[in-house]
Amino acid sequence: MAQNEFFTARTMPYALSVVGIVLSLLIIIMPTVDDEGKKSLPEATDGMDWKKAIFLVVAMVAYGFTMKWLGFIIASIVFLIVGFYILGERRIKTMLLAAIPLVVVLWFVMSSLLGVYIAPGEIFYMLGVL
Amino acid sequence: MWDGMMSGMMTGIATTMIPMNIAMVLFGCFMGSLIGMLPGLGPITAVALMIPVTYGLEPTTGMVLLAGVYYGAIFGGSTSSILINAPGEAATVATALDGYPLARQGHPGKALAVAAYSSFSGGTVSVIFLMIFAPMLASVATSFQSVDYFALMILGLTAVSAFSGRGGVLKALAMVVVGLMLATVGTDQTSGVQRFTFGSLELLDGIEFLLLAMATFALTEALSLVLNRDESSDSLKPKSIGLKSLKVTKKEFKLIAPSIARSSILGFFIGVLPGAGATLGSFMAYGMERNLAPPEERAKFGKGSLRGLAAPETGNNAASSGSFVPLLCLGIPGSGTTAVMLGALIAYGIEPGPRMFTDSPEVFWGVIMSMYLGNVFLLILNLPLIPYFARLLAIPKNFMVPMILFFSLMGVYLVTFNDFDIQMMVIFCIAAMALRLMNFPMAPLLLGFILGGLMEDNLRRGLMIYNDSISFMWERPLTLGINLTTLFILLFPIIRSFLLSRKNGGTKEAAV
Repeated sequence: MAQNEFFTARTMPYALSVVGIVLSLLIIIMPTVDDEGKKSLPEATDGMDWKKAIFLVVAMVAYGFTMKWLGFIIASIVFLIVGFYILGERRIKTMLLAAIPLVVVLWFVMSSLLGVYIAPGEIFYMLGVL
Repeated sequence: MWDGMMSGMMTGIATTMIPMNIAMVLFGCFMGSLIGMLPGLGPITAVALMIPVTYGLEPTTGMVLLAGVYYGAIFGGSTSSILINAPGEAATVATALDGYPLARQGHPGKALAVAAYSSFSGGTVSVIFLMIFAPMLASVATSFQSVDYFALMILGLTAVSAFSGRGGVLKALAMVVVGLMLATVGTDQTSGVQRFTFGSLELLDGIEFLLLAMATFALTEALSLVLNRDESSDSLKPKSIGLKSLKVTKKEFKLIAPSIARSSILGFFIGVLPGAGATLGSFMAYGMERNLAPPEERAKFGKGSLRGLAAPETGNNAASSGSFVPLLCLGIPGSGTTAVMLGALIAYGIEPGPRMFTDSPEVFWGVIMSMYLGNVFLLILNLPLIPYFARLLAIPKNFMVPMILFFSLMGVYLVTFNDFDIQMMVIFCIAAMALRLMNFPMAPLLLGFILGGLMEDNLRRGLMIYNDSISFMWERPLTLGINLTTLFILLFPIIRSFLLSRKNGGTKEAAV
C-alpha cells in the first residue's frame, strides 16, 4: 500500500483541528471589526419569527422520515400543504391546486421523461396495493 | 497561440450550436433569472437548485446550463434590486444604490434597460478577454506541480476569506477550516481508512457536496425569509412596468458608454482574482465611476445616476465571466458560485484543471462560447420579458418558501435516494442558520469543502515527491511566489485597517 509514513489519514484532521483551535481563540481574543458581529445574539435575533421557522424545520424532518413509507408523491404533497399552512395559508383549494400539480408534474418529468426510478412508498406494499 | 484559439473557438461553436445546448442556454438563462429575481436567493442557490437537473445530461450540456443559470441569476438579482430594493445577493447591492432611486423617480423601465445593456456589454467584453487569457493561463498551468496546486488552493481559500466582506477575515477563515474538516468525513482515498463515519454506512462515501450547498444556501436562505419579519408583507408587489418605458435615448447611451467600457475591463480582472468575484467587481466599478465623475454628476450618485447604475451592473457581469478563468484553467474556483460548479464538474467525472483544456476541450470552449449566446439571450429575451418576470415577485411568501424547501430537499433526494440525507440536510441547515446569525459567511465553507479532498491529495503527493519535507514551500520559486501572494492577501486587511485608522486619526486631528 502506498501509505506515506509521514502523511497518514490522521495528518489532515489533526492539522485542521490545530488551525481551528488557533482561529477560534483569535476570534474570541481579537476585537470584532464588523459592526454586525458586535451585536449580541438576542440583539441579532430580535423580532424574528422563530415559531414558523421551527415548525418548518420539524416539517422537513418529518418529510425525510415519511418519504420512504408514503412514497415521493404523497409525502411531497403533504409536506407542501403543511408548509403552506405553517406560513399562514388557510385556503384548502388553493393549497391543493398549488401542491398536487407541481408534485405530479415533477414526478412525471423525473420518472417518465428522464427515466429516474422513484420507488413507491412501502405502505403500498404493506396494504397489498402493489 | 491564435491558431489554437481559433480552432478552440470552432470547437466551442460546434459544441454550443447543437440544438440541445442552445435550448439549455436559453433554459438556464430563463431559470437563473427567475430564481435570481426572488429576494434572498442568489446565484449560488440558483446553480445548486439546478444541479440535479443536469445529472441526466452530458457534462458539456450540464455546464452550459449552469453557466446560463449563473449569469441569468445575476441579471435576475439586478431586477429585484431595481424594482423593490431587495438585492438577491451581495453582488447586486451596488445596483440598488442608483437603480432603486431611478425606479422610484418613475423610470423603472429605463433603469432595467440600462442594467440589461450594461450587463450585456460587460458580459460580452469579458468573454472576449476570457477567450484570450484562459488558454494562455491554461498552457502555463500545465507546468504546475502538485505542490503548486496545493499552494494555489491555499491562496484561493485565503482570498475568498479576505474578500468575503461579511464577519471579517477570521470568521471566514474559520469557516474554510470547517469546510475542510467536513471534507475529511468518509473513506480516505489513499489509505482506505474511515474517518469520522461513526460506523455509519451512509457516511462511508463522505458528504455529498450538493447536500451541503443546498443546506447552507437554499434552505437557510428560504428559512431566513421566514425568520425576518421586516419584509413579511404577504408579497412584494412591484409597480407595473409598461414596455414603452424600456427606452434609452442616444444621449443616455453616450453618457454610460465610457463607464461600461471601463467597468468591463476592471470587472473582468477583479473576477479573475481568486475569491474576489462579482460583489467586489460591482462595488469597485461603482467606486471608480464615482471618483472619475465630474462634480455635478457625482452629486447624482446614490440618487438615480445612470452612470452609477451602469457601472456596477457591468462590473458584476464582467467579474462573473472573469471568475471562470481560475475555474476552467486551474480547477480552482474564484467564488462561491464557481465552487458549486466545480463540485458539479467533479460529479460529472471531469478532472478540473489545466488538463481539462487539452482533455475535454469541448467543455472548456463550449462553456466560453455558450456565454456569448447567453448574453445575447439575456438581452433579447429577458428585456421584453421583464414586466412578466416581475410578476413573480408578487407570489406570496406562504407559497414560495415551502416550494424552495421542497425543491432543495427533493433535489438531493432524487440524486442519492437516501432519506438519511434529508435529515443530514436539516442538521446542516440548523447549524448554518446559527452561524449566519453570528455573522459567519457560508461561501468559504463551501469552497473549503470542495477543495478539501483535492488539497489533501496534492499535499500528500507533494510530500512524497519531496521526501516528506515541506521545504518546497519556500525552495520552489513558483510555490514561493504563490505563498507570498497568499501572505499579502492575508495581511492586506490588517494593513488597510491600520492605514485607514491612521488616516481617520489624521483627519480628526486636522478637524480639531
